[in-house]
Amino acid sequence: MAPIPGSGLAKGLAVTLRTMTRKTVTEQYPDAQPELPPRTRGVIGLFEENCTVCMLCARECPDWCIYIDSHKETVPPAAPGGRERSRNVLDRFAIDFSLCMYCGICIEVCPFDALFWSPEFEYAETDIRDLTHERDKLREWMWTVPAPPALDPAAEEPKEIAAARKTAEKLAAAQAEQHEPQEGAS
Amino acid sequence: MNGVLDVALRLLVVFVVFLTFPLIVGQTEHKVMAHMQGRLGPMYAGGFHGWAQLIADGVKFAQKEDVVPAGADRRVFQLAPAVALLPYLLVLLAIPIGPSEGAVGQVLDAGVFFVLAVMGVGVLGSLMAGWASANKFSLLGGLRTAAQLLAYELPMLLAAASVAMAAGTVSLPGILHAFHWWWVPWQIVGAVVFFVAGLAELQRPPFDMPVADSEIIFGAYTEYTGLRFALFLLAEYAGIVVLCGLTTVLFLGGWHGPWGHDGLGWLWTLLKTAILAFLVIWLRVTYPRLREDQLQKLSWTLLVPLSLAQIALTGIVKVVIS
Amino acid sequence: MSLAPTVSLAAGHPGFLSPTGVEIAFLLVGLVTFGAALVTVTTRQLVHAALWLVVSLGGLAVEYLLLTAEFIAWVQVLIYVGSVVVLLLFGLMLTKAPIGRSPDADSGNRWAALTVAVAAAVALVWVVVDAFRTTWIDLNGPAAGSTRVTGESLFRNWVLPFEALSVLLLAALVGAIVLSRKAKAESNPPHVNSRGVTESSPSVTDSGIHPVEQEGAR
Repeated sequence: MAPIPGSGLAKGLAVTLRTMTRKTVTEQYPDAQPELPPRTRGVIGLFEENCTVCMLCARECPDWCIYIDSHKETVPPAAPGGRERSRNVLDRFAIDFSLCMYCGICIEVCPFDALFWSPEFEYAETDIRDLTHERDKLREWMWTVPAPPALDPAAEEPKEIAAARKTAEKLAAAQAEQHEPQEGAS
Repeated sequence: MNGVLDVALRLLVVFVVFLTFPLIVGQTEHKVMAHMQGRLGPMYAGGFHGWAQLIADGVKFAQKEDVVPAGADRRVFQLAPAVALLPYLLVLLAIPIGPSEGAVGQVLDAGVFFVLAVMGVGVLGSLMAGWASANKFSLLGGLRTAAQLLAYELPMLLAAASVAMAAGTVSLPGILHAFHWWWVPWQIVGAVVFFVAGLAELQRPPFDMPVADSEIIFGAYTEYTGLRFALFLLAEYAGIVVLCGLTTVLFLGGWHGPWGHDGLGWLWTLLKTAILAFLVIWLRVTYPRLREDQLQKLSWTLLVPLSLAQIALTGIVKVVIS
Repeated sequence: MSLAPTVSLAAGHPGFLSPTGVEIAFLLVGLVTFGAALVTVTTRQLVHAALWLVVSLGGLAVEYLLLTAEFIAWVQVLIYVGSVVVLLLFGLMLTKAPIGRSPDADSGNRWAALTVAVAAAVALVWVVVDAFRTTWIDLNGPAAGSTRVTGESLFRNWVLPFEALSVLLLAALVGAIVLSRKAKAESNPPHVNSRGVTESSPSVTDSGIHPVEQEGAR
């Protein structure tokens, strides 16, 4: 059936009229915070307690926007007569967000889970040099990192939790063994 | 003395209407267009839903430097916005909004001719601007403006002539005094032709080829800044008010309404004008721009024959009635 | 142009010593109109000439208004200012009219043109003055040039000239269409119905030029 002439025009009018009666999608940002998805890549936070200054992130960064300074400290031996250990101490960790392209490679490569995506995005500056943020600022952003998402119901247990559970089970088993002979004796 | 006061008062009222109504239409366009596109539109200026946005725009325009390009024809360039704007002010004088003597700026014997003639003069402003800017885009815009005016003036005149035939007068209040409700279906084709041709003459989307911003920047107004540019914009919106008012008066019966005939007639006129202004905005949001050849084709192969058919119909019915 | 002298003759009647406001306005507007007309033919700037023509034609419309011929005045604005001048400007824009003086704007026929113009003006003034020697327009009475009066005199007393003129215009219209169609058939036969005022861009995109350009680009 051939369409009635002008029906397309009427359809167009109907579309705009319908849109007008619907709710708008405008985000009134400065007045109302946007509802961002939880894994939004807003800024990179540093969990500096986990950092071992392995420099992997700085080396993998495509535009070299991560600056790390560190020095070595010797730690006295844990047990008497043991060997002295040397440990890396972080002096400076800074990310230049005017260079950063938010690729997330640093976060991917960090072997010790010291870098995280945070959904925080309100860190605009009026001077480009102020966009280089130091470790204290990066550490602060760590607080805005959301908890990791829940695993699938049938997923394999995370390695850390599995290890912790095994230790706990071993401990429990050892305690139970200590208890059993006592019970048999009585 | 009383007569002078009366004239002064009328002029003042028309002037105030001329300054406020286009702004109201502009603000409505901001908001309606935004909501039709799923947006909110201006929300800040003035506090409540950005009601003062256009005032803020006006202040901004007034602060901007008034630049005249070095190669331009200074005098013509500076005169053009006034030529574009003033005709609409004059037209507003002749549009009656109520049945009484006092509800029209000036009763004219040949009102229909007056409004159409003066509206045509407004386009001269665009032409002057297009030529005097010393800019290729402006010149193209001017050319397109002229072509569009020549194409759409004819169907507009013919449609208006049809109503004048039906009423047996060319005076705007006279047409309204002769109006009956069944004129609306009788003259509906003429009304559509008149409205569409008027839109095209105002260069409103979807007939905005002369100012097509994606290909010729802003047509004849490319080189304008500051207040002069604002005057052109004001002319466009004043044009909307005038066109909607004229369509109301000529085809929709102006102050006639189902009730409230005495005293509230002006409300009917305003209401109908407002609805038509909404329609103008609605059409702008909905349809994409017509190409230049489509524009010409629409006028010459559709609107002109339609308006001629309307005139024939008007003549036949008129003869049958009498 | 020919009106201003007529007026001064008319003002020579008893009203000359105590001219009314309308008469003074008529004279002043007539002077402006005459001046604008002079500038139109003497200016070296083409587009300015067209714009001065607008002033001149508008002045004439005001003169009609002052003589209570309202209908004629608005028709004058509608047809001459609104359409003819727009057409003129349209044509000028197509011809690359420069901003500033055109050195070749003078055709060298100055004196011949002036002679013809003066002769025409004298003839017109003489004819008009001779024809209406004792006819006076009562500016205070009922409008002598209202739409109704104009229409009645046009369709009662002057129907034959009116119809003859319309037939002439119709013939011109048909002739223009025939000419433009023939020219079209010879130059580029296909599709786009441009009617002389459309831009030629669609036909360029539609015709064979575009693929060739693309080939070249590759």
